[in-house]
Amino acid sequence: MDIVFEEFYQSVPKYSQEVCGDNVEIIKKNDKTIIVLSDGLGSGIKANILSTLTSKIASGLLEKELPLKEILSTILAALPVCEVRGIAYATLAFMVIDHNKDAKLVEIDTPAAFLYRNGKIEKLNYKEYVLEGKNIRESSFHFHKNDKLFLVSDGVIHAGLGGLLSFGLGWDGTAEQITRVINYNDFDLKEIIEKLVKIFMAFYEDKPGDDFTIIGMRYREKRKLTLWSGPPLKKQDDSRIVKKLIKSDGKKVISGGTTAHIAARELDRELKTSLKYEDKSVPPISEMEGIDLLTEGLLTLNKVLDKLETYKPGQIIIKKEDGASKLLKLLLESDKITFLVGRAVNESHQSLNLPLELGIRSQIISLIATHLKKLKKEIYIEWY
Amino acid sequence: MTKKILEICIGTPCYLMGASELIEYYNNLESRIKDKIELRTSHCLEDKCEKGPVIKFDDKLYFDVTPERLSKIIRKKTQ
Repeated sequence: MDIVFEEFYQSVPKYSQEVCGDNVEIIKKNDKTIIVLSDGLGSGIKANILSTLTSKIASGLLEKELPLKEILSTILAALPVCEVRGIAYATLAFMVIDHNKDAKLVEIDTPAAFLYRNGKIEKLNYKEYVLEGKNIRESSFHFHKNDKLFLVSDGVIHAGLGGLLSFGLGWDGTAEQITRVINYNDFDLKEIIEKLVKIFMAFYEDKPGDDFTIIGMRYREKRKLTLWSGPPLKKQDDSRIVKKLIKSDGKKVISGGTTAHIAARELDRELKTSLKYEDKSVPPISEMEGIDLLTEGLLTLNKVLDKLETYKPGQIIIKKEDGASKLLKLLLESDKITFLVGRAVNESHQSLNLPLELGIRSQIISLIATHLKKLKKEIYIEWY
Repeated sequence: MTKKILEICIGTPCYLMGASELIEYYNNLESRIKDKIELRTSHCLEDKCEKGPVIKFDDKLYFDVTPERLSKIIRKKTQ
């Protein structure tokens, strides 16, 4: 069965801070995934700069497959020195997992990872040594199909400190919470992370005393999606595309009013337009039996492209009900995506004198496809 | 009393030309008038996209509709 490595994270800044002092970088390559977590000294913008620099340098060097010693010495030499404490400091944890499911995890001054295997949390076996004056914990292990792995910053371990709990949640307490949430809902990793963040927030009584981050990883089955947008050049292709869409595996999406009308006519199904609109810049979605999502075309696709341009791998997007957010969510949740693109000129759009980059459907879909490919999704485009 | 039907086109051209403001106008109507109207949306009304936003109210088509015009059309027909 086709499986894919999936990772999600959420970072929460310390109470009253605008930015988070933790930073996560995820790089998806064809044969491996690199995950880096760094927690900068203190909180706020200074911590954010420290952790961003640390994680960016580390992920960049890991991508180039440089040795650990070189990575560490480069980071230590490059980090700015904290004026208050006179030290340059950020914690670092990174994991590289290859296509054979073999993982290597390195931790420097960060809480030990949580491995969920066979219904409970385990600690990995570590090799410990000193490099460049730093204590390093390293673990090489094989990721099993049903495993889940969590990396956290120390803000998680300290949740509740001085408030609900005298000494904070601790590693064991965190392990207990993770186990509890997974045993309750093993289905969706994104939801597991969101639920855990809510729990940690509750321990902090909604006022986190430190920045905190949790990253979750696992393997899951690949998901498929087929999206049809635009009427075809040849009218006789109408029924061919509709059949292709309906017979496809996985989720089915139509993007475009005219396209939706063709589908409704060919399938003899009712097209229900909706009145709800959540975001004024995105037209309302419609409904049709057998179609998972039916959106307007150009404006929605442009909005999806905008959102994709600022998307960071592993980020959990905020749940919204407008067409563009729903389409983005479906695209990000899918691994094998087929675009069926009709190239007929939509007469109705000609009257608008749209700017070129907004008006050409094929160009927008190609750009969306390029961004999705960077996230290592399998993309197929068929032109009609 | 049967409600009068207000159909607003939400196809790309009409939406770009301001259909969302018409829906918003309807949503903010005082209930005395709103109760007499049923709102529906459509992907295209009569292929008159160059004259958007297009609406149909009480079976009559109107083009280049602004919220001010919509206000006049509705008030005239629901008095």
